[in-house]
Amino acid sequence: MNTRLVIRLQGSILLIEAAAMLPSLLVALIYGDGDAMAFVQTIALILLIALPMHFLARPNERNLRAREGFVAVALAWVLLSVFGALPFLFGGLFTRFEDAFFEAVSGFTTTGASVLTQFEGAPKGVMFWRSFTHWIGGMGVLVLTLALLPQMSGRTSHLARAESPGPSFSKVLPKMGDTAKIMYVIYGVLTLLQFVLLILVSGMSVYDAAIHAMGTAGTGGFSCYGSSIAAFDSVSADVIITIFMIVFGINFALYYRLLIGDVKGFFKSEELHWYIGIVAVSMISISLIILPQYGNFFTALRYGSFQVSSIISTTGFMTADFELWPNAAKMILLLLMFIGSCAGSTAGGMKVVRIALMTKTVKREISRTFQPRKVQVVRFEGKGVEETMLAQVAVFVVAYIALVLIGAFAVSLEGKYDMITNITASLTCVSNVGPGLSKVGPTQNFAGYGPFAKYVLSLLMLCGRLELFPILVLFHPGVWRKG
Amino acid sequence: MRILVVGDGKVGHTLAESLAREEHSVVIVDNNEEVLQRSEDVLDVMCVRGNGANAQTLLEAQVDKADIVIAATTSDETNMLCCLMAKRLGAKHAIARIRDPEYNESLNLLQHELGIDLAINPERATALEISRLLRFPFANTIESFAKGRVELVEFRAQENDVVVGTPLRELSKKSHGIPQVLYAAVERDGSVIIPNGDFVIHPGDRVHVAADMVTITAYFRFMGKNSLRIKNVMLLGGGRISYYLAKMIAPMGIHVSLVEINEKKAVALSEALPDVNVIYGDGTDQELLEQEGLKQMDAFVTLCDRDEENLMTGLYAVKQGVPKVIVKNNRVAYEEIINAMGLDSIVSPKTITCANILRYVRARAGGHGTKVEKLYQLVNGKAEALEFIAKAGDSYIGVPLKDLNIRKGTLVAVIVRKGKVIVPFGNDYIEAGDNVIIIACESGISDLNEVIRK
Repeated sequence: MNTRLVIRLQGSILLIEAAAMLPSLLVALIYGDGDAMAFVQTIALILLIALPMHFLARPNERNLRAREGFVAVALAWVLLSVFGALPFLFGGLFTRFEDAFFEAVSGFTTTGASVLTQFEGAPKGVMFWRSFTHWIGGMGVLVLTLALLPQMSGRTSHLARAESPGPSFSKVLPKMGDTAKIMYVIYGVLTLLQFVLLILVSGMSVYDAAIHAMGTAGTGGFSCYGSSIAAFDSVSADVIITIFMIVFGINFALYYRLLIGDVKGFFKSEELHWYIGIVAVSMISISLIILPQYGNFFTALRYGSFQVSSIISTTGFMTADFELWPNAAKMILLLLMFIGSCAGSTAGGMKVVRIALMTKTVKREISRTFQPRKVQVVRFEGKGVEETMLAQVAVFVVAYIALVLIGAFAVSLEGKYDMITNITASLTCVSNVGPGLSKVGPTQNFAGYGPFAKYVLSLLMLCGRLELFPILVLFHPGVWRKG
Repeated sequence: MRILVVGDGKVGHTLAESLAREEHSVVIVDNNEEVLQRSEDVLDVMCVRGNGANAQTLLEAQVDKADIVIAATTSDETNMLCCLMAKRLGAKHAIARIRDPEYNESLNLLQHELGIDLAINPERATALEISRLLRFPFANTIESFAKGRVELVEFRAQENDVVVGTPLRELSKKSHGIPQVLYAAVERDGSVIIPNGDFVIHPGDRVHVAADMVTITAYFRFMGKNSLRIKNVMLLGGGRISYYLAKMIAPMGIHVSLVEINEKKAVALSEALPDVNVIYGDGTDQELLEQEGLKQMDAFVTLCDRDEENLMTGLYAVKQGVPKVIVKNNRVAYEEIINAMGLDSIVSPKTITCANILRYVRARAGGHGTKVEKLYQLVNGKAEALEFIAKAGDSYIGVPLKDLNIRKGTLVAVIVRKGKVIVPFGNDYIEAGDNVIIIACESGISDLNEVIRK
């Protein structure tokens, strides 16, 4: 374990976080809600701690091996959340640390589950920071670090791999730093596009448009209104956000293909076909199921498609109280919570590619029972998939479900709420969605849970965002052994 | 620059490592998922899986935007096809590794027709390197630059050498008439020192001196090291390197004995090389070596397939008192251990191949704004020799070197003015248009003004 290198890395990442607080400080100064000091204090504290970490830790070896990479990523996310929680405390949004920590983790992991009950009069700068954590958490803080610090590149693929979602990580440009930069450029441009559309077409205020564009881009789901997107009651806002939630659930490497003019390559992506297929089927089925409630197909489609897009992209915005929908519709949403979006996007969940691979593996096992001697290769994106990859996917799916159940059990220990609430709370946190069902449903939130459950759920969110293993590695004693 | 490396073997991986470190954008293509994974883990490169001679794969690796394509797969045919395809698809330069002697004879035609800009034959290149070492047996390695006008030669200082034990500035006083060479770098205990006038050479140091060839030869003659002229050489192993080497050195009047374990191969070699004394037998057998006159040999070159055999027999030859022993060894990692055991001249086809290709790439990279004319890595990359052209108007022009601020850890090694080599001293100065060669312990210098200022 190259401890010094890990410490130095943590220092750099915290410095980036301090820099990331500057826009929020600016917003706080513009609106003058008296929360600017919260940021000044936090930034000063971070500088006090991070500067010595960054400049004094002299690593004797600069090579980052797999072990350090995973530990560094996991620790970074914990530290980011701890310091990211401070503006909430200093700004008076919460009085208890577990609430602020939960909110920060929920922000960085782009979950969007909230323990905030009082939206009226919340200071604008702090609320901006709350949504800004979605934006940097979506594409990844380490990816940002790689983009900004050129000396980081080298053996950094472990960092990027631990942070970017999906079973395999591939660069779009030969250099890690360039890949990280182009990803952030694509991300920024798409966010800006949505921001402008929300202002021009839906007539949102600049502040509201920024909050909701960042919430959509990171597929997070924090809103500055208790009733989420329903507060606007605008068809154009619903449609724009529905489309952009789907857009941010697509692999960003595909946008790079569009950027270099490879339109064919974009539309040939098999994962995209699966994703769009699942979205289309779910939208139509839910709209049909809830049709009797709304009476009009277009109204049903408006609310149904918004919710499908919101859940599969693991954003968690709401325009309707789906708690009141028929069970069949709720069940579809529950399945979508498991699935999530494409690998290499900002969304959570198990990822469409894994679902596709699992489906194909199951299909192969079925046909193997009656044709045992047939040689069958699972194909994806036009290429044969290695058996080790299939095994990894299967292990991931099992571990994912096990984590959801163990999490639900741990939350149940508090003795509050029913089984549906606890299971969906655990699932929605692991999948980084936001709302669950029943007592954590769309119009409710997580404030009712006790401190223990809040920490457990925070851990689940981190596990889900980093795709289980980087966080689970921290609990393996072998990692901390010398050598 | 954008560089495509096809074939992720020993050479491909090493090349990718050096090129990525020099800030080039490197894409590796290989069929084997496992080796690609390893490269992707440790290097900042992009990997594409597929056949390097397949247009689809090459396009996926964006060959059309590549400045240089390096084909280094195990198969000559794939390498040639790859270069042909790459050039047709828009790559600017193509380098291929072609090792089969059969192709070598029609290489000019092939190169022209297939658009290969540089064809590297690792075995031939290695043989060439060994032949140079046999011509100048006092040197462990020889690098030449400034179009061959300056040679940088490495030797190991010995107990009774005149240069040992005296500060460099007092050398000419103490040993009158010693030819003036530049002490460019000294390697001691694995680290590199750029010596100044107060520096004292210890026995066992690996000293790099620079000058033109005539001065260098005179220098070694003065030190009494040039008395050795290689007349009898024994080669161990009848592979391709031995074949090329024998063909190169036999016409120079050197008597060559070649030991080969395989009878058929031995007969074939004897047929192909009439001037060579081919011996059929096991070269690791000490009795056989003695019988064939190992002790009378001036040089012994081990070129078997296995590194271990080469090292062991090499050590045996050193112990038997053979003056010059050259060992082929592919695993660079062991070099320090091997040096400690007393084997100084080690050649590695992999390193030589990489060095040749890197030289070509760097010459192309030089045109892109940076002012470095040429860059050589010395002592396993621990030091660099850089060649610049001095520009009129820079602050250092015309000022004696002793009045200039020269960056610590760097050395103005040689000035080449109108084809004349000057080993500079305090009173010498740089004129506009001079080729200036700098030795530096660090990498990343891109401008002469960074190194010397008024």
